[in-house]
Amino acid sequence: MKPKIAVILFPGTNREDESLRAIEAAGMDAFLFRWNLKEDITPFDGYFIPGGWSYEDRIRSGAIASKDPLMQKIKAEAAKGKPVIGICNGAQILVECGMIPGLKGKVETTCFNKLATVNNSTSGSVASKVEMALAPNLDGFWCFWTHLKNSAKTSRCAFNKLYKQGVVFQTPIAHGEGRFTTKDPAVVKQLQENDQVIFQYSTKSGEINRDFPINPNGAVLNAAAICNKEGNVMAMMPHPEVASFNKQLPYFEGHSFEECEQLAPAHLIFQSMKKYIEERKK
Amino acid sequence: MASKVDVELVPLNTFSDADLASFLRKNGLALKPEEAKKAASLIGRNPTITELHIFNIQWSEHSSYKSSRNILKMLPTSAPNVILGPKEDAGIVEFATIDCEKYGIVISHESHNHPSQVVPYEGAATGVGGNIRDVACMGAKVIASADPLRFGDLHGQNKNKTKYIANEVINGIAGYGNPLGIPILAGDIYSNSSFDENCLVNVVCLGIIKEKDIIHSAAPPHAEGYDIIVVGKATDNSGFGGAAFASLILDEKDEQSNKGAVQVPDPFLKNILLRATYAVFEEARKKNIILGFKDMGAGGIMCATSELCDAGGYGCTLDLDKVHVSMDNLPPYIIACGETQERFTWISPPSFTKTILRIYNENFALPTIAEHAQASVVGKVTKEKDYILTHNGNVVCNAPVDVITSGIRYDREKKESKRDLNEPQLPEPSDYAQEILSVLRHPNVASKKCVYDRYDTHVLGLTIIPPGQADAGLMAPLHGKKPGVALSVDCNPRYNRISPYWGAANAVAESMRNVAAIGAVPSALTDCLNYGNPEIPEVFHDFCEGVRGIADAASKLFYKGTTNPVPVISGNVSFYNESKKGKAIDPSPIIACVGVMPDYSKAITMKLKKAGSILVLLGKRKDELGGSVYYDVHGKLGKNVPLVDFEDERNHIYTIIDAIDKRLLLSCHDISDGGMIAAVAEMMLGADADGAIGAELVLKSSKLSLSKALFSESSGFVAEVAQENLDALRVVGKKYGTEIFIIGKTTTEQKLKINDEIILSIPEMARAWSNGFKEAMR
Repeated sequence: MKPKIAVILFPGTNREDESLRAIEAAGMDAFLFRWNLKEDITPFDGYFIPGGWSYEDRIRSGAIASKDPLMQKIKAEAAKGKPVIGICNGAQILVECGMIPGLKGKVETTCFNKLATVNNSTSGSVASKVEMALAPNLDGFWCFWTHLKNSAKTSRCAFNKLYKQGVVFQTPIAHGEGRFTTKDPAVVKQLQENDQVIFQYSTKSGEINRDFPINPNGAVLNAAAICNKEGNVMAMMPHPEVASFNKQLPYFEGHSFEECEQLAPAHLIFQSMKKYIEERKK
Repeated sequence: MASKVDVELVPLNTFSDADLASFLRKNGLALKPEEAKKAASLIGRNPTITELHIFNIQWSEHSSYKSSRNILKMLPTSAPNVILGPKEDAGIVEFATIDCEKYGIVISHESHNHPSQVVPYEGAATGVGGNIRDVACMGAKVIASADPLRFGDLHGQNKNKTKYIANEVINGIAGYGNPLGIPILAGDIYSNSSFDENCLVNVVCLGIIKEKDIIHSAAPPHAEGYDIIVVGKATDNSGFGGAAFASLILDEKDEQSNKGAVQVPDPFLKNILLRATYAVFEEARKKNIILGFKDMGAGGIMCATSELCDAGGYGCTLDLDKVHVSMDNLPPYIIACGETQERFTWISPPSFTKTILRIYNENFALPTIAEHAQASVVGKVTKEKDYILTHNGNVVCNAPVDVITSGIRYDREKKESKRDLNEPQLPEPSDYAQEILSVLRHPNVASKKCVYDRYDTHVLGLTIIPPGQADAGLMAPLHGKKPGVALSVDCNPRYNRISPYWGAANAVAESMRNVAAIGAVPSALTDCLNYGNPEIPEVFHDFCEGVRGIADAASKLFYKGTTNPVPVISGNVSFYNESKKGKAIDPSPIIACVGVMPDYSKAITMKLKKAGSILVLLGKRKDELGGSVYYDVHGKLGKNVPLVDFEDERNHIYTIIDAIDKRLLLSCHDISDGGMIAAVAEMMLGADADGAIGAELVLKSSKLSLSKALFSESSGFVAEVAQENLDALRVVGKKYGTEIFIIGKTTTEQKLKINDEIILSIPEMARAWSNGFKEAMR
């Protein structure tokens, strides 16, 4: 049976078409799951939170969606080890609710704890510290192609199982708030020690360079995608779902129709997701 | 017998002309006294104030095309590949037939010039929003948009305001289109001082639809008793009088009140409204329900409902108290005619109404998305062909619906203006390399990457060639299928300043060359005709010449393989674009061309592919530098505007299309701003100015000076062809009688060399081309 993935539609999501397509192309069944559906979300094998600007990005990108009851349910499923990928606005949501980088060792989130503190003063729980944020780019919204390097070890997370370490591939960005940042040097150190920075912005040859436009937003460690400590949740700013087929790559010319329709390197992220689910089931 | 209303009538018949004029002005009505009287005679009694507001909008230039309609008849609008001509909110051209299912491309082209001059961010954003609704309301999935923009002189005396407007317009387009998730596929930007006080913001939008799924802007057959449903944002007083405002000369005195006529964009609501609307399409198709559907743009509820009902041969009654509003005590004419954004109107059989309400109000929860947003039943379609509005239980409008929709016509006077034109006698340059760099640095030639990189060009995942990489953008809208749709926009203001006829003909020809340069077949056109005040005979003459130029070019540049025209299937007219002192903008008949490509995988971009290929030229260089960038660099306009030789043009276009279809070309670029040498330079640089392949040109001509050969903007193409394909290319050329001139070769040395004398390095060209526009915008 094919793995079943819920692609989440929040009000304001705008990347659902290509996200559904990328999941299907990886040999999984994709279902569009609207934020206010009454159906149970637990039977799915994995979750995909696509890009857009959920809830108008009021307050901050992803801030309101991270407090949607649906995210609490997804968080609970993630705690069972199910894979969750958030791309662009989806990444912002995962960071906002503390699932990324999730250094507390549990998939406990800062934001729900905070809510709990506010709502239930008798609980005595203390809001944990915000570990990371996706801050505004140093120079506003940009949409262009970047090179990403798989810097982590193969299979470090659910989404890089099929990438050799050091391999470079192309993926476009389209965001205004994609700068992974933290004020805590200890978090940076832990991310490195834990090998949590999966993809880094790099040159075509894999050199990590902080200059614009190689690093398009000023992200710490040139981070384009960061996973949680357990490796089943990943927040990624660039858009592999629109770099999934060769035809979508820049200047992919002079090839047959069949070659154009073949899967591109960025799509290995979704194929890795499938492999992860299948291995977990065994 | 005169129709009955329950409210006070405006006693027009007792007013003197002077009193009537002042009454109209006091009530914010742009109607002329004789027009108000005409309205009264059509209704058969004095009008109510609501009725006067209705005629004010319906008879505005924007809504009625009162000056232009008679002239627009010249345009060829029908051809065998037209599914729907310019009758409704958008046109539809045949795209492909897959599995016995015929698909069409829906296209709409609009302007939002005055709003963008007054409030650039919101003006541009709502321009995009309105156009997207025009395409969506045909039942289509919206897939792309494009933005032809014209700004004032970025280096001129008004440069600070110009840069402010330009940056805000670009931010508005990005700020609306990006969150909505509609990719930008094409666009262009020209700047010159004629636009200093009146920028142009045109928007083109594309959609895709199966022919059998088209929803018309008309009450369907047997619609008596059907519900009229208003969906979307709650009506407020924003954008009241927008259509009338678009039909007036901008006056700084009125700036504050004009701002109120600009609508307020809400892309967040629109995002969800669009998705809910797609869900309604799907549900209606499943149940075989035929609906009427229309965007609410100019004239708001009144315009949408009267046109829907009239088009179906019906009338209607609307209860304005049932319209969901976000402000108290709105007068009936504002509820009826306000242009609040993000709204649509449905005409639905009562049995399906519940489904529509459920999808918008519950499934997509509009009331939780924006305050008071929802779907509301506001009226009924009636067999009697009257347009009846009630408010607080009183009838405030009661007029035959066709009187409201039929508009008025004017035959405007026209007179050719004297143009004092002459050709400059420029000496041959002492330093050609510097001249080439000056042309590459010119804001109308230089890279626009700093603009289109601010737009989401990949969302939906259907983009094959995004803006910047080629003369046209390309999409494969049916994933997994071969057909591609190309889009390009064009119009050179300086050509039009010299000759409004040839300027328009060139715009058509160039937009077709642009889509051909990637390998697509020019299949349909749209025009947005931006001119000055039509009441000035010289301006109206320019307008008529422009329409004639489009008509000639569209008719004579046959749809490939036929002698049919490339049809004009949608368009818009925008008059009253002029400076405070009354000087009209350069005539700007902006053309968009839709190209169809049977197999997108054959498409090519303009970037050179490898060293050792041959560079060929199609199209002789002629002494046609009038309006050229080269002359502009030297402060001249000139006279010899490029003429379109329709037969040559056709043959060049067909040769390129066939050569690309046979995979004979590696890259291709049409010749336009900056001439042949700018085309070669851009092929070397590529969109990211990171090219690494050089070019060596040998240009020997006895007839033309070298500078004219390099910078003439006569129509043509430069193409890169592998040595082994040259003969095959000549065979294709021969079929069409196209001469193929070899002008040079590509090299590993990263330099542009001309006749071994003029030498430029790629980095110095890249600097000039990459920074010219970017720095001018700072």
